This record gives sequence, structure tokens and C-alpha cells, in this order.
Amino acid sequence: MALRMWASSTANALRISCASKTPAFALSRCFSSVLDGLKYASSHEWVKHEGSVATVGITDHAQDHLGEVVFVELPETGASVKQGGGFGVVESVKATSDVNSPISGEVIEVNTKLTETPGLVNSSPYEEGWLIKVKPSSPSDLESLMDPQAYTKFCEEENAAH
Amino acid sequence: MKVPRSLQIWRLGIVNYSDALKLQEKLVSDRKIHKISDTLLSLQHPPTYTLGKRRTDHNLLISEAELKKLGAELHYTQRGGDITFHGPHQAILYPIISLRDIGLGARNYVEKLESTMIEIASLYGVKACPGQKGETGIWVGDRKIGAIGVRIQYGITSHGLAFNIDPDLNYFKHIVPCGIADKDVTSLRRETGIPLPAEDVIHEQLVSCFARQFGYDSLIWKDNVSILSDN
Repeated sequence: MALRMWASSTANALRISCASKTPAFALSRCFSSVLDGLKYASSHEWVKHEGSVATVGITDHAQDHLGEVVFVELPETGASVKQGGGFGVVESVKATSDVNSPISGEVIEVNTKLTETPGLVNSSPYEEGWLIKVKPSSPSDLESLMDPQAYTKFCEEENAAH
Repeated sequence: MKVPRSLQIWRLGIVNYSDALKLQEKLVSDRKIHKISDTLLSLQHPPTYTLGKRRTDHNLLISEAELKKLGAELHYTQRGGDITFHGPHQAILYPIISLRDIGLGARNYVEKLESTMIEIASLYGVKACPGQKGETGIWVGDRKIGAIGVRIQYGITSHGLAFNIDPDLNYFKHIVPCGIADKDVTSLRRETGIPLPAEDVIHEQLVSCFARQFGYDSLIWKDNVSILSDN
């Protein structure tokens, strides 16, 4: 419980800080934060590529649309993931949703904290709630993904269709 | 500027669980590549217990041997939610629809399934409501009348809702329905003061409630579909 509270307060702090850095995104109609420096897939996953490691998670928009996450199923370390292919499952409000990988490569680490505290996906989607770390097999995968501006627009259009 | 949206409804009668599952898998892949439009399966199952992704076996209170004696099947599934029972006189809807096309997330989708069941109950003067936090499904007081468990792959839904018209409620005594102890299960027959029409009429009303909740303008009914034609 203490961990959960700590995590959500961190997330709040993070959201406030990213809102002040990128007011244009924070004011977007979906009211979900979109972080600079990340790449986004149309199925609402983000990827952060640093050196030879790419961290993957689901976006703030995605966690908001899912509702409270109660269970997360992730692959084993060493498994291979394919761009656009499912690699895990998040369960929320009686719905299991597949999570797709924005890039191809080998899974080198999974976020084991989510076994005990799946709610981190809601409280801190871009930090504590990351899902897997991947060693990308074709870094050019990133080029087909959206930048923060394009993803913000994508979310707005999706909300408008609703 | 609303684009008219159509829904294909397959009326299937009583279908065993594995056949319905296979059919859903095929329809999900067809829907994913836009080979078909949004589709809704309307059916009933023979006595079947199903468990969700989390495989909460502890909420099944009898052995598999005893299940067999009852003439019931047991299936492990990839849907969300806990253990539940399906059987004759329980209306099932399995929507195979693209949530991305309508910009709907999992939470809103489940809420609309809840509203669908609340609406059908109200047609019979039964006031139902969503559960408390952590108790999804549809309740009349503290008695459960409808259950929900869905799976979403590539934004396409499968599994769905189960609404108790008049099933044999004794089957629920062998499980902790949806993992919630100390709660009773009920049916439309038990709660309403109005005589019920034939079950296909109630199925049709349930489909109409669903179509209204999700804003489909045109409904295309398909009967007597041979679901195993591809096997």
C-alpha cells in the first residue's frame, strides 16, 4: 500500500513536471500525458530507445482507457518479440487486452514488480510501470513509429471518433 | 457526419463452448483484416464452467469428476474475469467488434456491456445496476443477474456477456461466482413480476439493447449459419 501511494505520488509529480515542460501536449483534449523523447505505436505502446536497450510500456492514454489494471502477464527473458506482435496481456475490469511490441528484438528484462503491483501501469505508465526491455534487432523499426506530436494528434482523433 | 454502422447478428441457438470459441477465433482474425464487419453472436451454451486468464481454480468448489457427473464441461479461457457458469436459459452475447474503429477503450466497452444488461432488465421492471468497485457484472440488490468477461486482441473484442434469463441456479452453488463470496445469483425469471415471453424474443431484445448502446444503425440478422463449415 505504501509502495502504491508512493508510486502514485511520483506519477503525479512526473505529470506535473511534464505538463510544465510541454504545455501544448498537456492541454490536448485527451488529457493524457505524452512524453517527449519517446516513440509511439498506433496500438498505444511507447518505446524509449537508449543505446542498445529499448524500454517498452503502454501510454497514459492506454492505461486511462483500460481502467484499473489488476493483472499483467509478460514474456520470459530471452523471448523474441516482433514489431506489431503481441507479447503480453494486461487485465483490467474483466477485460484482458493484448499488448503489442512496437519493435522487434530479444527481451532482456521484464518488470517483475508488476506481478505484485500491476497498478503501477496506471499510476506511472512511463516510469515505474514499464513492461519489458528489448535488445532491438532492427533499430529502423523506430522510424515507422509516431513522434510525440503525431501521437498526441492520433489520440485526439481517436477520442473525437468516440 | 456520422458514418452509418452496421452489425451482423448470428443467431446460433445452443452451441457447445469449444465450437463457439473456435468460431470467435476465426471471426477475430477475419475482423482484424477487415474481411467482415462488426459481428455479434447470440447463443446459449450447454452446462459449462469457464475460468479466466488468472485461472482461479480455488473458486471451483467441486472436483472435475463431480463436474462430469453433473454433465458440465470445464474450460480455461483467455478472457478477463473469474470463474463463471453458462447453461441453458442464459442468453450469451459474444461481440466481435473493432474498438479502435469506434475509439472505445476496454473500460468504456465493459461499461456499455453493463448498460446493455441494465436496459434489458428494466424492460421487465427489474432495477439492475453495476457492481461495487471490484465487482463487475450486473446486480439486482446483492444478487448477480449478469456476468462479463472479455478479451481484446489488436483492438478486436471476443467473449462478452452472459445474462441469466432462467438458468438452473443450482449450478452456481458449485462455484464462487466471479470470485465474490457471500453473494447470491439470480435470474430475470426470479426477479420480474411480468410473465416472460419466449426466449428468442428476449435474445432479440438483448441484441437491440446492445445495438442501441453501441450506436449501430443497421442490423443484419443471420440465422441457421453453419458454424463449422470451415472445419
